[in-house]
Amino acid sequence: MTAVADPSPRQRRPRQRASLGARLIGTEGVPILLVLVVVLAVLMVLAPNAFLGWRTYISVMINYQPQLICALGLTLVIAAAEIDLSFPSVITLCSLIFAAFYRFDNVWWLSWVGAGLSPEAIKLLQAQLCWLGVFAALGVGALVGFINGLLVARVGIPSIIATLATAFVWRGLAVFLASGRQFSLRDFNQTDLWHVTTGRLLTPLFSGDVVLRKPDGIPIQALVVIALAVLLWFILNRHRFGEALLFIGDNANVARVVGIDVKATRVKLFTLMGTLAGLAGMFLTMETENFTTTQGQASLLVVIAAVFIGGTSIFGGSGTIVGSYIGLLIVVMLQIGMVALGLGGDVADMVIGVVFILAVTLHMLVERPERLKGLGFGNR
Amino acid sequence: MRTTLRTTVRTLGVAAMATSMIVLAGVAKAAMLGDGVTVYMQMGGQPGEPPVLPRTNGAKAAAAALGVKLIEQYSSWQAETMLAQFREAMAAKPSCIVIMGHPGNDAFADLVADAVAQGIVVTSGNAPLKELQVKYADKGFGYAGVDLYEGGAITARAMLGAGLKSGDKALVFGNFSRGDRGLSDKGMADTLEKAGVKVDRVEMSEEVNGSPPLAIPQLVAYLQQHPDTKAIGTQHGGITPLLPDVMQQAGKKPGELILGGIDTDPKTVAAVKAGTMTATLDQQLYLQGFLPVLQCVLSVKYKMGGFATNTAAGTLSPKNVDALVPLIDAGIR
Repeated sequence: MTAVADPSPRQRRPRQRASLGARLIGTEGVPILLVLVVVLAVLMVLAPNAFLGWRTYISVMINYQPQLICALGLTLVIAAAEIDLSFPSVITLCSLIFAAFYRFDNVWWLSWVGAGLSPEAIKLLQAQLCWLGVFAALGVGALVGFINGLLVARVGIPSIIATLATAFVWRGLAVFLASGRQFSLRDFNQTDLWHVTTGRLLTPLFSGDVVLRKPDGIPIQALVVIALAVLLWFILNRHRFGEALLFIGDNANVARVVGIDVKATRVKLFTLMGTLAGLAGMFLTMETENFTTTQGQASLLVVIAAVFIGGTSIFGGSGTIVGSYIGLLIVVMLQIGMVALGLGGDVADMVIGVVFILAVTLHMLVERPERLKGLGFGNR
Repeated sequence: MRTTLRTTVRTLGVAAMATSMIVLAGVAKAAMLGDGVTVYMQMGGQPGEPPVLPRTNGAKAAAAALGVKLIEQYSSWQAETMLAQFREAMAAKPSCIVIMGHPGNDAFADLVADAVAQGIVVTSGNAPLKELQVKYADKGFGYAGVDLYEGGAITARAMLGAGLKSGDKALVFGNFSRGDRGLSDKGMADTLEKAGVKVDRVEMSEEVNGSPPLAIPQLVAYLQQHPDTKAIGTQHGGITPLLPDVMQQAGKKPGELILGGIDTDPKTVAAVKAGTMTATLDQQLYLQGFLPVLQCVLSVKYKMGGFATNTAAGTLSPKNVDALVPLIDAGIR
């Protein structure tokens, strides 16, 4: 007869289940979603006309997709304990590449395409070449990202330095290729590509006259970005690549020991980020139907703030796609809300800063509740 | 035979002299007025930006025409950067430096004094420096641009002429707290207020300054919250072309809002043609690039005093818009 050892007191104690509230708070995105709900609730009270109607939200959906794309991509980068400061310049460069394939008559390196053609033939060619511009823009984004990755992974330059340096290069290249000019994509909204990528859905549900041949409705870009967010979430949380990123972000040496090809993973990461920035640049140009050499340049701080407000750890090893998405919405709503109230961008900056600190503190408390004791809470 | 040799030598001599004279004349013709003149010129924003490109093109055209070596400096409209760039330019000891008035007279005072003491000609464009202009006029300190405050006032008067009246509500979205850069916004707001319009002055953020499309949802939200707004004015060259987008996303019909802006971006021009944009200030930025380079050459070579030129600002209208489109595409207007 086999003796069965008495279970120890610890083993006899049934495992305590976390409360529903604790489990809810610990679910990805819930804390930051609560922050967004609070922000929106306050704005709805203070500026009901702006935040109880649909137009403000549709306008955000139309105009903030490039920043959302970059925030999603940057989440993966920061989760891997890296940073990419070059994405605004990649937006500019890829915006140009796409715009150039449509307005090839405006750039010196493509003007030969339209040589000798009639205006009607040029217009026809524009509608066709812009499709090629899509692949060109994404390809250039991937290429510059690949170069960033090589500098970081193979050459060994810290990513903050490498991407800061390449930011100058990509932007300078964009200005050079554009000959320092800006140009509009006239009649782009008459192309099939515009309707497929930048068009609007459910337009009969939304009222309003068509002023600029852009009807009211759900912008297709917004749905594309939501799909992208879902894809990136699965990559980060359910795919080997995402797992590798988190491992590397946590401890690159350990990742190497367990067999992860750290260098190759980093190169892929920056290539992905470059491609996403290229997509952002392309969407920006399609929506504004304009290229300027400053396109996307002011996105850096807003996107980085969104990622950290969303809960991604600056130390790497963890990242939240849902958090970054909601984090950007929080920043945007605060900016919009301040202007709707007749207050300026300076007030918005102060408010965003305070919310930034509160959001990061909230994340820290959720992840490490023992910090509460350090603040004097929960001591008996 | 001796005669033939003498004749040949004489002929060759004459031919040589003629050739020399032709060559020298050619060389003299190739000498240009601005030979040896190096100009550092502050352009303001970033390369290719709508309010910068025509100035840059004007400056380059003048440099090419006069044989000047032109060095462009871009500052993203940051006053501190402009001051730093002035120091960099001084260190290079050029013939002339062209500055912009955004940092203000006080900030530039010592720097300009040092430059002038070193024999460097300093002149200005786009944003005025009236005190320095008066002090150093005899040293070649001129100005080519619009009186910023007056420029905003011109646009405001055009908005009033389009039907904005006393008691109406208007939003002026600008850079009120950014020193001289906000003068045109103040000119616009003050002029509207003097006409009895209720003006809401809202400061734009740095992000919006750098990336104008971010202003669209902000202005949409403002219009939703303040449905009685009858006009929007701005003196930001990047936001002006987006005002029709703001209108449409805010659900406003054409003509429902009076829109006043600045500069001649292609989208702005299209909006003027379509009737959705009421008025946009035309600074003729090309002249603001061309004339300072000319000033530099004349002051360096002939010690000419500074001349002040109002670059004939007016507002773009449906009457003249068609003729300007090709020039706008070329970055001249």
